[in-house]
Amino acid sequence: MSGPLNALFPWAFLVPLAPTLSFVVIGLFGRRMQRLEWGGWVAAGGAFVAMVLGVLIAVGEMLSPGTYTDRSFQWFTLAGNGTGTFPNGFSLVMGTLVDPLSAVMLIVVTVVGFLVMLFSIGYMHRDSGLPRYYAQLSLFLASMLGLVLADNLLQFFLFWELVGVCSYFLIGFYYQRPAAASAAKEAFLVTRIGDVLFLAGVFIYFQQFATAGPGLGWAAAGFPFVDHGAPFLALIHASNPTLFTIAGLLVLGGAAGKSAQFPLDVWLPDAMEGPTTVSALIHAATMVAAGVYLLAVTSVFIGFSATDQLAIVAIGGFTTFWAASMAMVNRDIKRVIAYSTVSQLGYMVLAVGAGFTMVGLYHLFTHAFFKALLFLAAGAVIHVVETQDLFKMGGLRKTMRITSIGFLIGGLSLAGIPPLAGFFSKDDVLGSVYVAAQTHPLYWPFFLLALLTVFMTAYYIFRVWFLTFSGDRPRDPALPAAHEAPWTMTVPVTVLSALAIVAGALVFVPQFGGLFTAGVGFPATPGVPPTYTTTDLLLSAGSVGLGLAGILTAYVLWGNGRVFSLSANSPAQPIRRLLLERYYVKAGVDWFGLRVVYTFSRFLDFVDEYIIDGTVHGFERLFSELSIRMRRLQSGVVLDYAAYVVVGLAVFLVFLYVIVPAIPALGGG
Amino acid sequence: MILELLAFLVLAVTAAVTALAALLVRELVHTIVWVALFFVSLAGFYFLVSAPFLGVLQLGVYAGAVTILLLFGVMVTRKRIFAHEAATGLGPAPVALSLLIVVVLATAASTIPAATSQIHSYSVSALSTALFNQYGAWLLLLGLVMLPALAGAIYLVREGRE
Amino acid sequence: MTDLPLAGFLALSAVLLGIGIFGILTRRNFILLLIAIEVAINSAILNFVVFGAYWGGVPGYGLEGPSVAVVLIGLAATEVAVGLAIVLALNRLRGSINVAEATVLKL
Repeated sequence: MSGPLNALFPWAFLVPLAPTLSFVVIGLFGRRMQRLEWGGWVAAGGAFVAMVLGVLIAVGEMLSPGTYTDRSFQWFTLAGNGTGTFPNGFSLVMGTLVDPLSAVMLIVVTVVGFLVMLFSIGYMHRDSGLPRYYAQLSLFLASMLGLVLADNLLQFFLFWELVGVCSYFLIGFYYQRPAAASAAKEAFLVTRIGDVLFLAGVFIYFQQFATAGPGLGWAAAGFPFVDHGAPFLALIHASNPTLFTIAGLLVLGGAAGKSAQFPLDVWLPDAMEGPTTVSALIHAATMVAAGVYLLAVTSVFIGFSATDQLAIVAIGGFTTFWAASMAMVNRDIKRVIAYSTVSQLGYMVLAVGAGFTMVGLYHLFTHAFFKALLFLAAGAVIHVVETQDLFKMGGLRKTMRITSIGFLIGGLSLAGIPPLAGFFSKDDVLGSVYVAAQTHPLYWPFFLLALLTVFMTAYYIFRVWFLTFSGDRPRDPALPAAHEAPWTMTVPVTVLSALAIVAGALVFVPQFGGLFTAGVGFPATPGVPPTYTTTDLLLSAGSVGLGLAGILTAYVLWGNGRVFSLSANSPAQPIRRLLLERYYVKAGVDWFGLRVVYTFSRFLDFVDEYIIDGTVHGFERLFSELSIRMRRLQSGVVLDYAAYVVVGLAVFLVFLYVIVPAIPALGGG
Repeated sequence: MILELLAFLVLAVTAAVTALAALLVRELVHTIVWVALFFVSLAGFYFLVSAPFLGVLQLGVYAGAVTILLLFGVMVTRKRIFAHEAATGLGPAPVALSLLIVVVLATAASTIPAATSQIHSYSVSALSTALFNQYGAWLLLLGLVMLPALAGAIYLVREGRE
Repeated sequence: MTDLPLAGFLALSAVLLGIGIFGILTRRNFILLLIAIEVAINSAILNFVVFGAYWGGVPGYGLEGPSVAVVLIGLAATEVAVGLAIVLALNRLRGSINVAEATVLKL
């Protein structure tokens, strides 16, 4: 079945192209664009075009469920010579693939992208270096869209890297601040570790596929996501299960890096050094989702072994709890939301690992909206009161009505209170893990962790809401007078609030829900479980109950301007400190870096400076000395020159008449 | 035969002695005398090997012109050989070096076969024919060297030059 | 004529060359230097003449020895002339003809 919008599918490449054009234009002419908010409106324009086109394409895909359209362009071809690994040649492609997976991601990335761009115009108004900001943000949007629409593994990896680079740029936007510069470096390096692991996994897949058989056609065609008649899953399973499992673990490593799962989660809280809008776009909705997207894509076209799935479940489940625990005690509004992102990503990873790829993607979908909403609302608050410390804020609901309501909606969604979006998706995640645990008893502990995290999530986000918005006046009297944020900020907040409410229910619209249940050209993967048995209802009631309990706890401790402080000799103090110090993981990494790595670098520096440079300078000094000595021969004294002539003559004569005859080879003797 | 040998020996000794003397005596004017004698003895050699033209040439150019030139030089500069000018204080090195050269050459010389036993002579016309035809280029080159040398020498000694 | 040993002539010219070189290396008076150079050159000229005499039987090249000798005599005389010009100039400049005082010949 194909609808009229299908005509748009071959033009899907325009979606990443629009922000790319913004990037180029702003990059070249940004400094002359004072009227256009230094490129802000250009960037927003590009994002708008991408959004319109992206949403239309996604709707088109909804109306023709289960289809996938692959348009690719061979940009590199090696002809085969009948022998070797690729007897029929080898090619690399660039292209777009429109299928249910990418349709979902398209909606998320383009909508949130546009709203964040719009928000930035007001939020970043006072900052300097704006052309750079908008150009980099546009480039990021373009790269993310390129990643989402990628139709082969190589292109996917290319844009994956590009996205990481843009993240580095944007986190380090305030590069004059050492904290920001080092946070950017940290983000890049940690995700790099993930990237290396990912690449290693890709190499293993490639090596397994490229050894004859139908898989060869896949490799030779440039690793497309759409199989060309090759039954990958069976193929790779059969050849070498251990290697296959290892490759899966490596891919998980890559996803863990980008999606900040334990143990590669250290960078995300620190990445809050960047502008809040950057956090909203990159670290809530898009880049960190790329890891989950990677797992989703690989699960449908390569699949994971049982061991891999257990690993994914374990990491996802553990990270959920781990991050939520640290969010409960933090006093920086952005950091709490950052930890929340890590925790929710854990939910998504958990669902994918349990075998319910599309459930994970569903949570990704809803999460993008309410997390971006939370970030943007926090951004509005920060913009107005000029601080990020929760303990300085208070009573803002009176002066920032729209923002406070927006944040409330986001918080309710995050806590999973019906009928908001977060309820449906989180419920489905829990339901999937429960179902999977029936057949994989090892999943139970992680299910319990996930359940406990529901309570913690509700608690920490409402702690933030109460601290910021409830009460009568700010705790810090020196805070600037609050007022509502400008329209460029309130409009996106409002839109996202609406989405945070309805996005979950959208899945009940058949066409939209179809995106999540249809396969992607492969044997259909399980979608949203549509069952509503007693167990499911009990589970839902349980999670809602936990959520409400969390909110209530937060109200008791922090509501109405109260500040709950743990007494100094309470037994919970060490736990509190542990959480505040991020379980000393960061400290451990820092220690390792400082002692071990730095010492090693100093050793290498020594080698470089004294041994390598020493040799080079040694040569230099050798020749200098030599020339100084030789220079003295030219004394200017004529007699010396005469002497040289004579000595030369003597040498020549000796050579000619004594040495030459003595060498048998030259006819002497 | 024995006369020639005798002549050779006398001339050889004379040549060596006068050369050394020219270099070693203390008075500059005396060296001129020794130098003249040296040139004459060389001319004697040329006569000995049946090259009379060259012998006369040697006498004319060297024993005549060059000696007078040197004499003029001595007269104009009116210098004496001062003690500190005599030796260069290089010790035995120059003597050793010269001895080395002499020995090497002499040894090499002894290995050369004495081609024929005939000493060839030639007429002046034959020599001049050969000189201007076969080796004319050399003469031209010589002229090319002499001209700038002449000009240069004049330039170097002209008055008004600081 | 019967032979005088060629080697004898060559040995003599070697000795004269040695004397000349000795003079070049050790004498500081400019005119003595010129005389030493002359001694050395004359030893070479002697060599040419002698070879010309002894090996003159080579057809076509029999007169090469004396020809070279003639040219060399002219050349040496020229060189003495120029050398003396230098002596006079040096004398005017420095007031002495001590070669050791000519020390500016360097880059």
